[in-house]
Amino acid sequence: MSLLLRRIHLYLALFLAPWILMYAVSTFVMNHRRLFHGPPPEPPPQYEVERELVYPGEMPEGATPQQVALQLLATLDLDGAHAVARPFTAERVVVNRQDAISPRRITYTAADKKVRVEKMIFSGAGFFERMHRRRGYQHNYVLDDLWAISVDVTIVALILLALSGIWMWWELWVTRRLGALALGAGIGLFCLLAAVL
Amino acid sequence: MKFPHINRRTHLYLGLFLTPWVLMYGVSSIPFAHNDYFEERDKALGVPLWTKTFDGPFDLGPVTESGSLKQLGEPVVRQFKLEDSSYGVYRQGPNQINIYVHTFWKSTQFKYFIDEKRLTAEDRRFRWEHFLTGMHARGGFEDGRFLHTLWAVLIDAVCLAFLAWIASGIYMWWSLPGLRKWGWVAVLAGIGSFSIFLYRL
Repeated sequence: MSLLLRRIHLYLALFLAPWILMYAVSTFVMNHRRLFHGPPPEPPPQYEVERELVYPGEMPEGATPQQVALQLLATLDLDGAHAVARPFTAERVVVNRQDAISPRRITYTAADKKVRVEKMIFSGAGFFERMHRRRGYQHNYVLDDLWAISVDVTIVALILLALSGIWMWWELWVTRRLGALALGAGIGLFCLLAAVL
Repeated sequence: MKFPHINRRTHLYLGLFLTPWVLMYGVSSIPFAHNDYFEERDKALGVPLWTKTFDGPFDLGPVTESGSLKQLGEPVVRQFKLEDSSYGVYRQGPNQINIYVHTFWKSTQFKYFIDEKRLTAEDRRFRWEHFLTGMHARGGFEDGRFLHTLWAVLIDAVCLAFLAWIASGIYMWWSLPGLRKWGWVAVLAGIGSFSIFLYRL
């Protein structure tokens, strides 16, 4: 049991190191918002025009903004996790296409069938925040579901790493006293802050 | 004391001290990752989330576009004796200012209607998932008060500890030649799949 726990602790941590690294750095960035984003209010993300075109096909009669978005993304070869921006109107559809590195904003105007594709200008802080907040299950894309599963695995791993760490510490007689002090101090401080904040 | 020994002990004691935070971040990520499930479960209860506790006249004085929103919320927070809590002030529209007062245990939302000089206050029903996500999302040094700053410092400590655990863990793994092969498999599989997500997600 002890050996198995040690191996799980080690290999799980080695496998999930990139996720843990990403969450650690992104948390640091969000904890120092002023340092990375400047004083509030934060400016909105900046975009640059990537391409402009006249939509070559026809939108179905009475298509909803969501249907327009799907057709647009398929035509532009940008199919993937996205959200249609409010307000939902058939005249002007704005689609925010998620992407880890380069999110895009696609604007379609029905009157002249013009499509403008804008790419978000990369910022390190923005990238880490996006990765930190990225979910998956709500989109109909396999890769997003896989990401969501990887997030769930990281969650389970975090809990497991903490609990297996306690187990391994308890097995080491020589570290019990100082370890108990560290664990007790941590729990005490955490409870105090949880009670008053 | 030699370096490998210091490395092991740092890995261990840092882990033990920060165990509550690691567990909290782990457990509180569940309602974030499965928000729809928790919302539907709560909706099924049929109990309103917010309860109005005040609706009456209140004068915040002149509200300018450029003034500090945070300062604007101060008299409201003081009047309702919530000055020990952390709060944020947001402009909901040209005629409405919202003030959110939050502790891990309780949340109050104020809505100030500028034209009418009217204020409403609503308390949010306690939910464990909100307690957890509230802890998860709390951070930053903007508040300035000692305990709030201490929480932010501890978040930094957790971030740095994760980096230290990765580095010291890799060192300990490398010191055990018998585990190198499978360790490499785990490291490369992790980096590989994460890179695919980065490239395609």
